[in-house]
Amino acid sequence: MSNIIEIKNITKEFKVLNRREGLKGSLKDLFSRDYKIVRAVDNISMNIEQGEIVGYLGPNGAGKSTTIKMMTGILEPTSGEILVNDYVPYKNRTRNAQNIGVVFGQRTQLWWALPLVESFKILKDIYGVSDKDYNDMIELYQSLVDIEPLLHKPVRQMSLGQRTLSDILAAFLHNPKIVFLDEPTIGLDVSMKSKIRTLIHALNKEKNTTVILTTHDMGDVDALCRRIVIIDKGKMLYDNDIEHLKGFFGYYRTLKIRVGGDLKQTAEKIRAQLPEFSVSADDEWISILVDEAKSKVMDVLSQLQKSYKIRDMQLEEISTEEVIKKIYEEGVK
Amino acid sequence: MNIKRCLTLTRAGIIESLQFRLGALVVVAGNLLYLVVIYHLWQAIFASVGTETVNGMTFTDTLIYLVLATALFNFMEMYVVWEMGHAIQTGEITIQLLKPMKYRSYMFWSYSGTAVTQFFFTFLPTFIIVAIVTNGAIPLGLNLLFFVISVMLAISINYSIDFLTGTICLYTESTWGINIMKQVIVLLMSGATIPLAFFPEPLKTIVNYLPFQSIYNAPLSVLLDGNPEPAKLLTTLGIQLFWCVVMNIASRLFWKLSLKRITVNGG
Amino acid sequence: MKRKSLGFYFRIYRKILAQDLKSKMSYRADFIISTIGMIFTNIAGFVSFWILFQNFPSINGWGYYEMLFLYGFSLVSLTPVQCFFDNNWALRNQVYSGDFIKYCFRPINMFFYFQSEVFDIKGLGQFAFGLGTLIYSWNKLGLEFSPLMLLKMIVFLITASLIMIALQNAAAATCFWIQNSFFVLDLVTKFKDYARYPITIFSPVFRFIFTFVIPIAFIAYYPSLVVLRPDEVPILSWISPIVALVFFFLSYKLWMRGAMKYNGTGA
Repeated sequence: MSNIIEIKNITKEFKVLNRREGLKGSLKDLFSRDYKIVRAVDNISMNIEQGEIVGYLGPNGAGKSTTIKMMTGILEPTSGEILVNDYVPYKNRTRNAQNIGVVFGQRTQLWWALPLVESFKILKDIYGVSDKDYNDMIELYQSLVDIEPLLHKPVRQMSLGQRTLSDILAAFLHNPKIVFLDEPTIGLDVSMKSKIRTLIHALNKEKNTTVILTTHDMGDVDALCRRIVIIDKGKMLYDNDIEHLKGFFGYYRTLKIRVGGDLKQTAEKIRAQLPEFSVSADDEWISILVDEAKSKVMDVLSQLQKSYKIRDMQLEEISTEEVIKKIYEEGVK
Repeated sequence: MNIKRCLTLTRAGIIESLQFRLGALVVVAGNLLYLVVIYHLWQAIFASVGTETVNGMTFTDTLIYLVLATALFNFMEMYVVWEMGHAIQTGEITIQLLKPMKYRSYMFWSYSGTAVTQFFFTFLPTFIIVAIVTNGAIPLGLNLLFFVISVMLAISINYSIDFLTGTICLYTESTWGINIMKQVIVLLMSGATIPLAFFPEPLKTIVNYLPFQSIYNAPLSVLLDGNPEPAKLLTTLGIQLFWCVVMNIASRLFWKLSLKRITVNGG
Repeated sequence: MKRKSLGFYFRIYRKILAQDLKSKMSYRADFIISTIGMIFTNIAGFVSFWILFQNFPSINGWGYYEMLFLYGFSLVSLTPVQCFFDNNWALRNQVYSGDFIKYCFRPINMFFYFQSEVFDIKGLGQFAFGLGTLIYSWNKLGLEFSPLMLLKMIVFLITASLIMIALQNAAAATCFWIQNSFFVLDLVTKFKDYARYPITIFSPVFRFIFTFVIPIAFIAYYPSLVVLRPDEVPILSWISPIVALVFFFLSYKLWMRGAMKYNGTGA
């Protein structure tokens, strides 16, 4: 398979005005300017293949949208190379736009006053989609979601969920090679979230569309992405399969046991017994976070069984959310 | 009403509008340009008549009147109708209604900051420039004090009219149309575009019975009159006060009644 | 992929326009109120005009009907900017809120895409009003009427339109650099009121400025001379179509440059 996106050592710097605080500061700002250079994206490289769904993660202000703006051609990198579909995006913005679809969170790109189907028809003309391709696509949409009630509704009358759904459908309408989705499920209810995830998954399978997804919702990541890329403060922290992520800090699993007697006291004893692991207790369970690189969970369990009467037990894998949280908070070692 | 809370809004407004520093420069530049245009226009007008005064106003009087009317407009225009219409259409109004302050006062004090900045950055420079350029044609005496009082009354009347008009947006969904109608009527009837002295007789009488002339014509004639007869001055300010009270009550009442309507209809 | 042809853009515009009109018709109240507002604005302009000429029979050798002709000419020539480029007023809000970014993702010209979103039907009322004034004063002045004259009229009306469009584009585009571009836009909108006066009233310095720096004399004065005073048409009138094209092109470039810069700072 070939790379649809190739990014080599791109960096983007911005000049920003230092604003001063308070009334006095505002007055001073009126007469003097004080700039500083901010590096929003710092030496990032990655290759993305046709048909991949990549989760592009990072805390707020990490540089995600700057990278996406560079990939969509509306921003020129300060240095480095970027190729999307064999074109340099910022030099060929309109040509690049023909091959991509973009959905930006809660900002609709549809015509506010028009019924959805009219927006679709205008988009069909703008992108030069043939009648046959257009009809096929609508048919595909119909098989995936119930769009009939949406088609004749003006966008301004739609709920947020319906609007997001419509925006996603509009982004795929001209069968682009790549679709960028920026927080597509933000603010939606659980059932709408799952509907949208299913839709994205199906369209990716059906059309082999590359999807770049930025999100803060790990549910999106777990449901859709095999590969994730994490950046923070403009720097790349992680780029690999989601399975590897769980082992990123060592393979942690949480062993939970229930014993008779006072849990807090027992937890104290266990803590003394297993000083290398973190032990905590709540009203029901004693939790032991086991680093599998040091000893296997089964060994810990059998060791504990010798000293305590274990009534019940549970084994929990660490969640994607927890790992990401750990990465955001601690960075990469 | 908690005055500290109000002043906090004023302060926030000042800081916010200072961020738009170039905006202030553009306004001053615009006023200067306007000065140039009307200077030449009225010079040509007076030249073609051939007399010193027309309808009791000299060329200089007319010029000062018109420039300061624009400068007053700059800092009195709060775009309240526009904002209210927008808030109503987007539904933001429901959030603003939840604030622990009456909407009418909230809007007023939020805008007061802009007004203060506009006063110092556009009205005052324009005033000073005009005073210097016209070389003492503006009498600088006790009339300045009465002018300030008159302007304050004018601000209050103007805000009431704006708020009243903005309230109409609750019924119509059409902000643009309502706003432009209000603006056109106020600017023409208040004497901001052409001094009321030039209005033909029947029109002048009608306009004098309307509240609009209290917004621009009243403060400006107070300013331009160096030795006013006390009776005339009192009448001008008295009429302003009258309209101030009437419009205040009217706008509050209309808002209250209209608000019931939204609560009934559920926004 | 080849460049999109003019026909392509025309087709798209027609499609959006047809749909837009259809949806506007569902807001009848708004449509009617806005139209009334527009008529109000025009009547108010006319009234100020009339009041002025109640006091002064002529200005700088220009009589009532000649001035009226200029006025009607400016109204008609301002119709396109009102109808097709009204979205410029929304630009600063879209830039401020970050919604502007959506225009960057389509494989069509950004400027076109942005302007195509709004067709302001109110402008048609202004057109009718202006056309009426124009025909009326044309008649009263006893100007020549021939197919050639009509052709000249149309060409020079388009010229005037392009200049105003250029000025407004440039003014709207300033919001990419300064946040509160409203004042700039508002200022330029006032220019069109100044455009109604003959440039000869200004002193030579400002005649130069209003011709070459801020070309408001091209909005009505120079183009209208071709029809109004066919015996003494200055060279500037004849070159005004070229000036118009150049200004329009420059304003378009400025607008696009601003849009590119906007992305640079990020939202």
